[in-house]
Amino acid sequence: MPELSIILAGLSDAFTITNLFFVFLGVLLGQFVGAVPGIGPVMAMAIAIPFTFGLDALVAIGFLMGVNKGGLVGGAIPAILMNTPGTPDAAATALDGYPLAKQGRPLKATKMALYSSVTGDTFSDIVLITVSAPMAILALKMGPVEVLGLIILAFCVISGLIGNSITKGIIAAALGMLAATVGTDPQHATPRFYFGYFEIYDGLPLAAVAIGMLAISEILRRMAENTGVMRKGIEVCDTGNPADQRISWPEYWSCRFTLVRGTIIGTILGALPGIGSTAAAFMSYAGARQASKHPETFGKGNIQGIAASESANSAVMGANLIPLLTLGIPGSVGAALIISAFMIHGIQPGPLMFEKQGQLIYGLFGAMVMANVLNLIVGQVGMRFWIKVVSAPESVIFPSAILLCFVGVSLASGGISGIVIMLIFAVLGLVMNALGFSVVIFIIAFFLGPRLEESLSQTLALLNGNPWALLNYPIALALVVLAAVVLFSTQRKRGR
Amino acid sequence: MKNAIDRLSGLFFVLFALALWLYLIPTQIETVDYGAIRPKTLPQILAVILGLFGALLMIKPADGTDLSQVPWAKTIMIIAVLVAGLWLVVELGFVYSATPLALTLIFLMGERRPLWISIGGFVIPALIWYAVTILLERPLP
Repeated sequence: MPELSIILAGLSDAFTITNLFFVFLGVLLGQFVGAVPGIGPVMAMAIAIPFTFGLDALVAIGFLMGVNKGGLVGGAIPAILMNTPGTPDAAATALDGYPLAKQGRPLKATKMALYSSVTGDTFSDIVLITVSAPMAILALKMGPVEVLGLIILAFCVISGLIGNSITKGIIAAALGMLAATVGTDPQHATPRFYFGYFEIYDGLPLAAVAIGMLAISEILRRMAENTGVMRKGIEVCDTGNPADQRISWPEYWSCRFTLVRGTIIGTILGALPGIGSTAAAFMSYAGARQASKHPETFGKGNIQGIAASESANSAVMGANLIPLLTLGIPGSVGAALIISAFMIHGIQPGPLMFEKQGQLIYGLFGAMVMANVLNLIVGQVGMRFWIKVVSAPESVIFPSAILLCFVGVSLASGGISGIVIMLIFAVLGLVMNALGFSVVIFIIAFFLGPRLEESLSQTLALLNGNPWALLNYPIALALVVLAAVVLFSTQRKRGR
Repeated sequence: MKNAIDRLSGLFFVLFALALWLYLIPTQIETVDYGAIRPKTLPQILAVILGLFGALLMIKPADGTDLSQVPWAKTIMIIAVLVAGLWLVVELGFVYSATPLALTLIFLMGERRPLWISIGGFVIPALIWYAVTILLERPLP
């Protein structure tokens, strides 16, 4: 465990005026973009990463955390007002949020979403802060063979759970890893697949690949599908009844069991790679409905439905960082983007972070707690304004986002070559999406590729050509067997 | 038709894996004969995975893919505008090319309201210029 002095130093780093300002800015930006249909927190983070280049590592990551957390709150607003979730995570929120808004109580619905989101997020952050250091100590005991087994397991879980086909998932993972092999080989420092272009001699720039595949390809799809028809959200009007505008303490307290169930589901699913917040939200919603004495009220504007969905999808966020900080394995695209932010600032995520960058980690935890408080305050004050943002036209939002991507990638990768790579990967992402190959798996594999190659090399050196030597590594063997079981059982379930 | 698209993408990956194994790896990776893992080892493993699972996709198509819903013509048009925008950025720089690029995209999306056109075409590029050049003190492309 890190020393108390390191923990305190990290926390004091977090609670500075500069950090507070950037976390606040992140939350503000996150809630704003979350409220804009079409730009979710992941896209906003991808676009924002290059702009954090000049910032101190803690300030930059605190800012990105703010964007991510704020985006989760903001994402519920279009779901509630337009029945079109800003992000897939908020789809379950629309089930009860939209009917409640249609009954003339949109502010009540958005405020329930805000309180539930902050509750879930705070709980999962507490779990993250409590379990990550002991888990990192355990992870440090793992050698390269176990790490290889763990990465293989992560790939099998992710390929099995994301998307509709395991075959396509594995192909997407292989393509992502192949993209990661471009540039200098980590073992022998010889170039691979650079085709004479010295711009990619050191590998494909992370920011260009991530922004191209996650932001530009999605923007292209949305722009092409745009029919020019303006979608209007439900307008907020004063009913004269203050109870329609707010959530009272008894109302919040009546949802306590739903909130606890949602946060537990979100935290558990968030800690597992690949499952994601959408599944957590729907599982929590189904659980709340099943446990309710009046299940028939669900889908008709029951605040318990909003509480279930929002607490679960937000609880995923903190828990997502558990495999990232303890093992260096991103469980979701959001976590993969946080990894890229760490790497841009010269920090290698993984268990060694607690040893080498303990102060930064505890600073990050401090920033996350701060972001939760700010999320509540900004949401409480800004909700009426974010409701107006919903009607901002996509015809202006998407071209503006494209300009930001052009500039962001150019800043991060040092010029035009980055923009070219971004556009190539945007087209690749678009085609992959259209053909049903998961872009999320591709990106996670792209991030994990170098680590897999390094572990594979060390494992082969340790085994020294003797496959029976694997028997000396029972944990690694168990992980590989578990990976095979996961793939096999997922395939069987799909077959049914 | 839906299965045919999956079969075709499977075929593509089989051919791609062959090209990777027979042409790209030998020509684009230097031969190194020492170490536990050679520079070409991982790409070769990946070529095998792509080939095998591509073949599997051909034999047993996944869930069926429907490409008829994708508005390809408009997508290609937007990509063409972005490529032209990139060319403009290379030739003129971001400051002079941002507004034409933004305006083209805004018109392409059917926006005709002067206020929103002005915001997207002039105010946003100016804000980006201000944020990057003045606040962050970084050069624009």
